[in-house]
Amino acid sequence: MIAGSQIEAPTAQDDGRWELLRALGSIALEIPPASDPACEALGLPAWERYEHTNVFVLDLPPHASVYLGGEGGIGGTIADAAGGVWRAMGLVPPDEPDHLGALLALYAHLGESTARCATRAAADRLGHFRRVLLWEHLWTWCPSYLAALGASSPERSPANAWAGLLGTALEREASLSEAPSVLPASLGEAPAPISVDPSLDELLDTLTATVRSGFIVTFTDLSAAAKQVGVGLRRGERRFALRSMLEQDPGGTLSWLAEHARLWESRHNAASSGSDGTQGPGGIINKWWAERAGRTAAVLEALAVTGRQR
Amino acid sequence: MPASDPKDSRSEKSGAAAPPADLASLGRRVSAARAATEARGEKFYQGASGTILAAFPPPERWDDWVELDSRAWPERVEHHSMLVPTTCFNCESACGLLAYVDRDTLRVRKFEGNPAHPGSRGKNCAKGPSTINQVTDPDRILYPLRRAGKRGEGKWERATWDEALDAIAARIRKAIVEGRHNEIMIHIGRPGEDGFTERVLASWGVDGHNSHTNVCSSGGRTGFQFWTGIDRPSPDHANAKVIFLISSHLETGHYFNPHAQRITEARARGAKVIVVDVRLSNTATHADYWISPRPGSEAAINLAIARHIITTGRANWDFIRQWYNWEEYLAACRPDGPQTFEAFRDALAELYHEFTFEYASAESGVDAAVLAEVAEVVAGAGTAFSCHSWRSAAAANLGGWQASRTLFFIATLLGAVATPGGTFPNAYNKFVPKPIHTPPHPHVWQELSWPVEYPLAQNELSFLLPHFLKDGRGRLDTYFSRVYNPVWTNPDGMSWMEVLTDPDKVGCYVALTPTWNESAYFADWVLPMGHASERHDTHSYEQYDGQWIGFRQPVLRAARERLGETVTDTRQVNPGEVWEENEFYIELSWRIDPDGTLGIRQYHESKAKPGTKLTVDEYYGWMFENSVPGLPEAAAAEGLTPLGYMRRYGAFEISAGLGARYSEEVPDQELTDVSVGPFGRVYTASPKPADSNIVPMGAPPADEAGRRAVGVTVDGTVRRGFPTPSGRLEFYSSTIAGWGWPEHAVPGYIKSHVHPDNLADGEMVLLSTFRLPTQIHTRSANSKWLDELSHTNPVWINPSDAARLGVSATGDLVRVSTHIGYFVAKAWITEGIRPGVVACSHHMGRWKLLGHDQVRSGGMMATVELARNGAEWDLRQRQQVKPYQSDDPDTMRIWWSDTGVHQNLTMPVHPDPISGMHCWHQAVRVTPAQPGDRHGDVTVDTAKAREVYKQWLAMTRPAGSFSPDGTRRPAWLMRPLKPAAETFSLSFNDPASTGS
Repeated sequence: MIAGSQIEAPTAQDDGRWELLRALGSIALEIPPASDPACEALGLPAWERYEHTNVFVLDLPPHASVYLGGEGGIGGTIADAAGGVWRAMGLVPPDEPDHLGALLALYAHLGESTARCATRAAADRLGHFRRVLLWEHLWTWCPSYLAALGASSPERSPANAWAGLLGTALEREASLSEAPSVLPASLGEAPAPISVDPSLDELLDTLTATVRSGFIVTFTDLSAAAKQVGVGLRRGERRFALRSMLEQDPGGTLSWLAEHARLWESRHNAASSGSDGTQGPGGIINKWWAERAGRTAAVLEALAVTGRQR
Repeated sequence: MPASDPKDSRSEKSGAAAPPADLASLGRRVSAARAATEARGEKFYQGASGTILAAFPPPERWDDWVELDSRAWPERVEHHSMLVPTTCFNCESACGLLAYVDRDTLRVRKFEGNPAHPGSRGKNCAKGPSTINQVTDPDRILYPLRRAGKRGEGKWERATWDEALDAIAARIRKAIVEGRHNEIMIHIGRPGEDGFTERVLASWGVDGHNSHTNVCSSGGRTGFQFWTGIDRPSPDHANAKVIFLISSHLETGHYFNPHAQRITEARARGAKVIVVDVRLSNTATHADYWISPRPGSEAAINLAIARHIITTGRANWDFIRQWYNWEEYLAACRPDGPQTFEAFRDALAELYHEFTFEYASAESGVDAAVLAEVAEVVAGAGTAFSCHSWRSAAAANLGGWQASRTLFFIATLLGAVATPGGTFPNAYNKFVPKPIHTPPHPHVWQELSWPVEYPLAQNELSFLLPHFLKDGRGRLDTYFSRVYNPVWTNPDGMSWMEVLTDPDKVGCYVALTPTWNESAYFADWVLPMGHASERHDTHSYEQYDGQWIGFRQPVLRAARERLGETVTDTRQVNPGEVWEENEFYIELSWRIDPDGTLGIRQYHESKAKPGTKLTVDEYYGWMFENSVPGLPEAAAAEGLTPLGYMRRYGAFEISAGLGARYSEEVPDQELTDVSVGPFGRVYTASPKPADSNIVPMGAPPADEAGRRAVGVTVDGTVRRGFPTPSGRLEFYSSTIAGWGWPEHAVPGYIKSHVHPDNLADGEMVLLSTFRLPTQIHTRSANSKWLDELSHTNPVWINPSDAARLGVSATGDLVRVSTHIGYFVAKAWITEGIRPGVVACSHHMGRWKLLGHDQVRSGGMMATVELARNGAEWDLRQRQQVKPYQSDDPDTMRIWWSDTGVHQNLTMPVHPDPISGMHCWHQAVRVTPAQPGDRHGDVTVDTAKAREVYKQWLAMTRPAGSFSPDGTRRPAWLMRPLKPAAETFSLSFNDPASTGS
């Protein structure tokens, strides 16, 4: 039979910790109504198909590569690095190893497998993999991702409820794991941030690559921005729509983008300190994101002034 | 401290706060919900999340696999499929396929890899998924057709299967009743199930099996068989340190997938790959060393490497002492010297003294320093040296079989035989299950396939059939070609057309084929056969150190059976009236012998219900239940029958890691009344233990008292040894020596017919043996994806030759003249071929005859006109391929027109006098095209072809003059269908068989 094709059966000792994460991940992967049983078990509202497509295909693809990759697209070195965790364990990575559902399923698998290890060394090895998965491949982008999802979804929507619960679950995982003392590789070796005087193409490249700009801008965000600035929103990829907005009203569009960047800077800063004012989990990571968003905001603010003068 | 407590893992922070109560309760609730769902036998995770830790659809979901329609994006439109395994039929690798059968329409949507297949491991080359093109080809043959006009005229009428079966069965019955068994022949192209057709013929009492192997791989096989008694190597590439390939075939094109993926793994580990290939093949582009030698000099290179290993003390002397038949060599060739191993070591050094790097360099045109560097890499491989030689040099040169023999010589010197990373005899890694019926050996000898001039031939002299028929050596009453295209594939195709259109030579020609081809145009009956998803077969091939069996099946039959339907005849589910061979041959055999009086029917009857017809379910059910070790147990563990298991998974691994079986000790119970030959061959009176694996291999002769050969003594222990007369690795072949070729009894170098010494002034070598990884012998013409990838075969010319010959640019037309005619093709000027050699690939130049409107052009067949004036033939392209209307809109998207040239027509036959292999390389003259020449033109003089045939025939040493024991052929050598022992006698039955 094919190794690795079976999902591990839940064990009594884990108190549902791993199944919870796997079930939350499955909601991003499964097309409704296949996700209904998981939603029901979790007490979450069921998704309509159009909602699922809108969130996970069109607006906020749940892939690490979209938020950590230099081009802001699916695949590439970020996805390959995620696949490396599978390979390091002797597993064949799935087609999209950086998909949130895949990452959570592997995380849950590692947690369950740790409980079955016969030796301490084996358990430590799996624990190490799980820690790498958490801090390198999940925590580096998930808090921002879930924040964006929460912000762009109606309060009682399935997406909002799912994002809230997953965020809580991940915070628990982060609180149980020793945070890294140095930046994860995907951030430490991230592409350069926005330059002081970018060309239009460079600007668009930066704005549509979260790891370069420090913030997430969705098509839904752009829709709101177009309304606010008073420009037409052309249908197409975000880069295309954004270019059109900048061509119609550079000053207004840049100002909105600068505000958006400041909003994200504050979100990152808030996340880097816990609710009680102490440093939150993974503070070093959130701090990095905050600095990047702040730098982008500063550049955009300067450009907006220039844009208005034109 | 138990490791099962996750909080003890070092990744967890100690003293962390307890999880929020709501998360804990939610987690418990999800776990409980999942457990309850799965307890009901349902899936909690129904979609992709259920498979996230697998790379393929997991088998438990093969009944209802859901995929999204990519063309409907961004809408989410689901496809629900049943995944049914089968085996690819487009080359010999037998890779696993999964047919995606749409649950709504019950049609096959696509083919992908079968992850449960141990050989291909879910991977496929382009040919596998392209099976869907063949299945849905709008121009395929769907119904039995009977010739309505003259042969070759292109007039056909639809017939029923009953009409076809009755007519053909009546002819065969009459021939058998009248004792004309040798007038029945089945000529095999793409192999189906191991031994199946042979058993059908044996049940008829007919020695009529004819394979294409002597235009394919028999030269390569010969070199291996004379070493080990087994005619194919099984290199363990994945674990090798050095991989040495003499290859324009196996790893580059045709059946490369299972090997290529393991070579890739080895390279990732740091293994070195050495490719000896005249042209820059795909494999050569990935090699650490690409050696482009003068064609035919490969054995000289091998011997220089062997000499280096011997003279630098890197040979594995203990292995050689134990396993070479060196004592036999010394006794036969140096009887007056000391009979010691030390003397043999000295003899080895002396025998190969002349093969210095400088000598090999002079022969090959490869720099001596490069050869020395490569030899050093090889010498450092130790026992992790894997090697392969199949077509290429072994299939192209006079004496080419010595290329594989000298290659395996290197492996034996290193002791890299059946070691991890070494090269195994294929029989170790292959499993052929014993079938429900085993008919006896026929009591006739087919002289048209096994002529007396070629007693050592590895396989049937199939490509000489037209000449033998013209010689008057016999005639054929009923000739089948089975998924084969002899006119197009063989050299000298015009001679094939001459005999196939002559009813005095071929009384009735039946083409069993899925598609139209250049031979079927001349048939009397064209009977539609199934593709990979439309027929049953079992397969097993050597691809790693293990044994597996694969199952080809009509996937729509299996799908319908999953839905609870009963299918009793594959025609019920196949397109049109396409049939599978098994049911066809069972039915035909019953009609040949309806009352059982000829003794044929019994081999096609049910065992469970005697007197009724055998069904495929019983045939395979019996085989899987009784002949495949471990399968019944594996099936039972899943609540399946063995047949149900194979229908479900398509493949089963029987064993792995078998290792060096030659060194296994023979158990005491097999050693009764033992005799030992002078060189340690051990014979026993014990009966051979039952073995359900009937994999082909040599059959060493018994001793004078009739005891069977059971092993060989090695340092006082009786070990299994090899299936050779000596029981050892035969460095010295008493068979070759005894049958008239003592000068070739040890690994050596035979100068090719295209050696510079044998070329006339101005002649070059034409290399025509190579294939492309994206085409199929003669069934590509209806694979639109493959056609688009590769559809033409320009003539490769080195820039220096192009300048010398006055060929100024790629695309210029050149005329390539052989000894019997010429063809016109486009030039491709490239550094990928060495100077002095031109190359033209296989596969291309497909054609349909003008006026044959029953044949659509597809994307690969030009329309041609044939003109004959006595022995002079002209083939001229009248229309290139172009877009056309059909049920498939893609036929309007054909953007190419050039489909290459049918070069094989211009090649005379070159049978190697020992191996019987057709030596493909041609001595040619290349000139710019002449006025009036058009691309694709072919002109041939078959009278000249007859002269070349006679010249090569004169090189033979016939059994009538050279047989050491009055037989036609050494009985121990492999033969696909072995007739009864008495037929081996030269005096048996047929005075003409003594030859001259």
